Amino acid sequence: MECPHIPSISYAQFSERLHKQVIAQRIPIQGSLELTFRCNLRCVHCYCNLPLNNRDVISKELKTGEIFNIFDQIAEAGCLWLLLTGGEPLVRKDFLEIYAYAKKKGFLISLFTNGTLITPKIADYLAESPPSEVEITLYGVTKETYEKVTGIPGSFKRCQKGIELLLARKIPLRLKTMAMTLNLNELSNIKEYAEDLGVKFRYDPELNPRLDHSKTPCNFRLSPEEVVKLDLADEKRVKEWREFCEKFLGPPQSNNLYLCGAGVSLFHIDPYGQLSVCMMSRYQNYDLQHGSFHKGWSNFFPQFIAQKPKSDYKCGQCGFIALCSQCPGWAWVENGDLETPVEYLCQITHLRAEAFNIKKL
Amino acid sequence: MDFLDKVYKKSDSIVFRKIADEFILVPIRQNVGDLESICTLNDVAARIWELIDGKRKVREIKDKIVEEFEVAPEEAEKDLMEYLQQLEGIEAIIEG
Repeated sequence: MECPHIPSISYAQFSERLHKQVIAQRIPIQGSLELTFRCNLRCVHCYCNLPLNNRDVISKELKTGEIFNIFDQIAEAGCLWLLLTGGEPLVRKDFLEIYAYAKKKGFLISLFTNGTLITPKIADYLAESPPSEVEITLYGVTKETYEKVTGIPGSFKRCQKGIELLLARKIPLRLKTMAMTLNLNELSNIKEYAEDLGVKFRYDPELNPRLDHSKTPCNFRLSPEEVVKLDLADEKRVKEWREFCEKFLGPPQSNNLYLCGAGVSLFHIDPYGQLSVCMMSRYQNYDLQHGSFHKGWSNFFPQFIAQKPKSDYKCGQCGFIALCSQCPGWAWVENGDLETPVEYLCQITHLRAEAFNIKKL
Repeated sequence: MDFLDKVYKKSDSIVFRKIADEFILVPIRQNVGDLESICTLNDVAARIWELIDGKRKVREIKDKIVEEFEVAPEEAEKDLMEYLQQLEGIEAIIEG
């Protein structure tokens, strides 16, 4: 933005400065909202997708006006970064209305979508009133691989079309993928595809169980050895891991169960108005259909995030905890309790430490 | 028309947010949005933004600023002119 007289600082500087303040003042600066759990795809690994036209599900979802009301409340509370996700957010017929309202509230919006439902009308709207970023998940660079994951014939072509529509309008785009058994052989091609298009790319190799505790997604997990092999094959990733370890390695500085920003500066809201401290921790929620965001944030969350481990919490003493995706939320979906280590994550972490020659502090 | 007699109103292409101790301008429309930089306002600039209401003349805004902050009238006028021109440049305010 060209405004030299108005103090304009780099986005990264601004973000760092603001984050320090919001943590000290406990401001809910960053939130995510699942507009729906419904999806037009049937991805084998998905942790939340529900059938597209399920009437019971539709009837439980927040109505347009209720979402507006939540936006009013979270803006008032200080939310700046807002992620709109799903399910597939574009299956909602009122998506553009919801998006427009969120823009008017002054959120910096990220949109997670599978890209297959992007129409010229939606792309035009996003171009006129752009989000900070759209992230499209691309499961393969061939129809065979992509649709083996999504289970829907024709979805690969529609995803490509969605990507083209956004790129043609220069809408900020990032491609990403979940690395799994079904697309491991195409992971490097997906990365190249993104690079050729000139867009950013990221991948995540750690699949978690479904929110209803179904372990089906885990059938498609890479082995811990494969995950670390992928790390080592990517120089940039190795460098980032090393830098991260230098900064954050060592036993937790707190004896709380929650060691991250969940409930401190982060929050999550599901399609039915259930407020939680993050996307993973949904075992105790605050119902926004029966109470205000302010009450949930100020009265419910502080007790929640101050929870201490009830048992001899192995991960709470681990010097590699910062290197690990283990958290009470993941432990809950994987093991049904908050403190049992997720064995899969533990194996990846220890292999990673060995591969990068990282010593426990 | 004398600059000081102009009246500005806020456009709907930008949203003002106060979060923690920061005053931030968040763009809504195309071309204004840029993830690489973000506009933050200092106390004086944020106060000026508050005072822009589609009714007050620039002269009245200047007088308020001189009254509320330690600044000479000439300096306030010069800074105010630059600032308002920039806000107009990014379509954050419009005359009228």
